[in-house]
Amino acid sequence: MVDETNSNSKTRLRKMVSRALKATIKGVILYAVYFVLMQFIAPVLEFIPDFQQMVEIFVTVYISLVIVTELVSGTIFQHFLNTAKAFFVIVYVMFLLRTGIFGLTVENMSLTVDVRLFLVLAMLVGLLGVAKSVMQAIDYVNEKVEVTHI
Amino acid sequence: MKIPIRMIGIATSIFWIFLIIFSVSALYSMKDIRIDLGEPRNSLTPDNRMLFSIPVSIVNKGYYNLDHVNVSTEILDEQNQTIAWGCTFIPVISKGQAVNTIQHTEPNLTTLLQSYPHFLFSDTELRINTTVSMKAAEVIPIQLSSSHSMPWGAPLYNFTLGTPEFAPLIIPGSTARYRVTVPMSFENHAFFDLTGTVQVRMYNSTNVLIGEEQDAMEARQDSSYHESLEFYIPATHLTIDGHFEVFFATPFFNYGPLVVPYGR
Repeated sequence: MVDETNSNSKTRLRKMVSRALKATIKGVILYAVYFVLMQFIAPVLEFIPDFQQMVEIFVTVYISLVIVTELVSGTIFQHFLNTAKAFFVIVYVMFLLRTGIFGLTVENMSLTVDVRLFLVLAMLVGLLGVAKSVMQAIDYVNEKVEVTHI
Repeated sequence: MKIPIRMIGIATSIFWIFLIIFSVSALYSMKDIRIDLGEPRNSLTPDNRMLFSIPVSIVNKGYYNLDHVNVSTEILDEQNQTIAWGCTFIPVISKGQAVNTIQHTEPNLTTLLQSYPHFLFSDTELRINTTVSMKAAEVIPIQLSSSHSMPWGAPLYNFTLGTPEFAPLIIPGSTARYRVTVPMSFENHAFFDLTGTVQVRMYNSTNVLIGEEQDAMEARQDSSYHESLEFYIPATHLTIDGHFEVFFATPFFNYGPLVVPYGR
């Protein structure tokens, strides 16, 4: 009985470590992708000062959600967080849409860049993400119900 | 259920990857787009039309073409009224291509000077708004606006008809007359030489035309013009006050009457 309890807690610990490791790897990979992409955008960012801040906030929250989702994977909370993540993308994009036109004025010159089309596309892809998360949640609940019946 | 979820997942990932790569490359390529707006210049065409020219240089070293490039210029006076507008349309600037163009705007000098007489007599500032709009990577609208101000020199700056000097002319056997000498001066601050005629009509205090004089004028750019007009007027019609009506006729504009009172 004691051995079985020890074995269970060992398995749980192993699972926890594995999830934490996965979460860390995912977080690091996402940050690396962000870091590489920022190197490309960097020359443009100095002309659009607010844009960097917006992207940084987005990436921070998104990576945090990815890590937490990974930590609770295999539970219903994973699907809640997946949906939350997809909604976050949509809401953040909607927030950006208000200022989808970035402007810069230097002396007697002003530059305006309109990136609203990208934001709309991102929002639509975000909706696909929501659909996927909802379907995953339904599938998860279905599986649980089937297991209970059996 | 698993397969549709997987398909949606794959589709979402593909869309995200495409969107991120495209947006990053489009933004990255924007740094290699150079737009230079030169100093505006004004000149006169052989047929005496005013020509505002702004050199525009667009160099596209980015990864994508620039489409619907539209260079427009608007000339405004100090009250923000549009006095001229012009635009140049370039359908495509391909990647690696450089386009140098001169944006010409031709304000109708005659209409301008006749509609806004303060341009004839007062130096002022003209504001020139230049806008370059285009679509980068076919989908990202970019707009660069620049505002210059350019001094406007009046062709009849400080136009003055001086105090008339009356000198009696006594010719035996004829009615008494007066020779009235009126000094006329102005400075030509315009960017063109002014040639034409000036016609001055002299009215007495009862609005009766008592004398008329026409004179050719020629004032080079940035020079002063001083001339005296002479009227020979019967003494019976002369009053100590009245007014002059001045009419200008030049290749650029016809203006008049400019009413200048005297003796008050």
